[in-house]
Amino acid sequence: MKKILTLALGILTAIGGFMDIGDLVTDALIGARFGLNLVWVTVVAVIGITAYSEMAGRVAAVTERTVFDLVRERLGATAGLLNLSASYFVTALTLVAELCGVALAIQLATDVHYLLWVPLVAFLAFLVFWKMPFQPMERIYGVLGLSLFVFVIAIWQLDPDWGRMMHDVTHPQIPPGEGISTFAFYAIVMLGAQMTPYEVFFFSSGVVEHGWSAEKLGEIRVNNLIGYPIGGILAIGIQVAAYLVLQPRGIEVAHLSETVLPVVVAFGKLGLALAIIGIFAATFGSVLETLLSSGYTVAHHFGWRWGKFEAPVNASRFSVLVIVTLLGATAVALTAIDPIKLTIYAVYLGAATLPFTYIPILIVANDERYMGEHVNGRLANTVGTIYVFVVSAAAILALPLLIITKAGA
Amino acid sequence: MSEETLDAGLALLDRQVVDIDGKLVGKVDDLELAIRRGGEIEVEAILMGPQALGPRLGGRVGGWIRRLGATLADAEEPIRVPMKHVKELGVRITLSIKVTDIERLLDVEQWLRDHVIRKIPGGRDASE
Repeated sequence: MKKILTLALGILTAIGGFMDIGDLVTDALIGARFGLNLVWVTVVAVIGITAYSEMAGRVAAVTERTVFDLVRERLGATAGLLNLSASYFVTALTLVAELCGVALAIQLATDVHYLLWVPLVAFLAFLVFWKMPFQPMERIYGVLGLSLFVFVIAIWQLDPDWGRMMHDVTHPQIPPGEGISTFAFYAIVMLGAQMTPYEVFFFSSGVVEHGWSAEKLGEIRVNNLIGYPIGGILAIGIQVAAYLVLQPRGIEVAHLSETVLPVVVAFGKLGLALAIIGIFAATFGSVLETLLSSGYTVAHHFGWRWGKFEAPVNASRFSVLVIVTLLGATAVALTAIDPIKLTIYAVYLGAATLPFTYIPILIVANDERYMGEHVNGRLANTVGTIYVFVVSAAAILALPLLIITKAGA
Repeated sequence: MSEETLDAGLALLDRQVVDIDGKLVGKVDDLELAIRRGGEIEVEAILMGPQALGPRLGGRVGGWIRRLGATLADAEEPIRVPMKHVKELGVRITLSIKVTDIERLLDVEQWLRDHVIRKIPGGRDASE
């Protein structure tokens, strides 16, 4: 019984890790603008992140080494440092977006401007980092985040034409009025939102810190294989809901209030309340994850003591870095930078950094000297190799597309 | 350079170093090599810290990193761990000494602990 509970909680954590401000913004935005024509990207992304998270988790369990520890060893000092700088920057930028996301969720509930909530949210995040046992917190947010399923249930309430939706999903096309470059731009945005790099850093760090060994591989696989696809269903649910409610009315997503509009149409105030709880939980959980991940990337690169279980006095460089990152992210959020645009940039740049962490993971997962009997099998290698090409293509196209489309305008 | 030297470089550089109790020490930022009589090259010591990493990176950024490290530590020389203290070369490099026995290694960690971390009230207890 206890085992099933632990397993369920692990899955919840994976779902919670999957959903964040990136998904909430991009799914609604893309559903409203492109209908169901980019749903396939979510499927592609979910398979990719499941495969790489499993690999990173397996490597961490067998070798007790995290992603950034291996990245430095495999890429060498110079490329490793460049990748570290890029990954830290993207993760910190995502932290800014998540902080704004929590504050926007509170704004939806209170009608008080989100900028007033940002410092409070940051202080709460600090308190959790400074004082609280992390694991129960992570689980609470996982459970509360499930209320986002209101988006999925809303689809039934909205009584759509299922046959046509199925046809649209399986026959994607560039909608009239959109060019191939904006279509590709938003495909990369979606990929970045759903294959968020910090999720993989965070998961591999968790495996090392929990001291999970090779015996736990089954549990690691179950967490990934069930948790991420459920997260993917949620993501598709938000896209479909936006397609059904926002697209016919010509509503563009420029704020979280548009993201939640479909559930308001379907269920009124109750729907709104559930959506707000879900958004709050998903984004606050992600504030903690991105905050810790930005510290992990640096600490693992330089080999410092680190960890969410470690008392701050025992890992002072790591703790100072986390606090400075939080202060910096709060300051950037308070400049009133547009949180929706910021989110799009963060996930887009995230997609561009993916190859530099995925390639080292794939190499090490294939190295028998490291992995012994747990070395990659044929399935993991086939999927892993295909995704190296997928994420590399996205990374190469990212900059030209950003310029051509003027950031998806 | 002989093939063995190259292999040693691959097996050492940028690896995680842990102490005898498994505590994290840092990364191998560079190596100190010595040429023996007869032309053999041997690794004398592991070098750690920005003063070792900076010069290895080279360029302007490398220079900044070295200078930052030298200023923070008030020492031009990197931290040096002689190879005789290396117990095992594996996925990670295990030392036969304690992390606290390495001179200057934890200076920044301790300074931040005493001047920043301990000044913020209410931190989780040091449970070890």
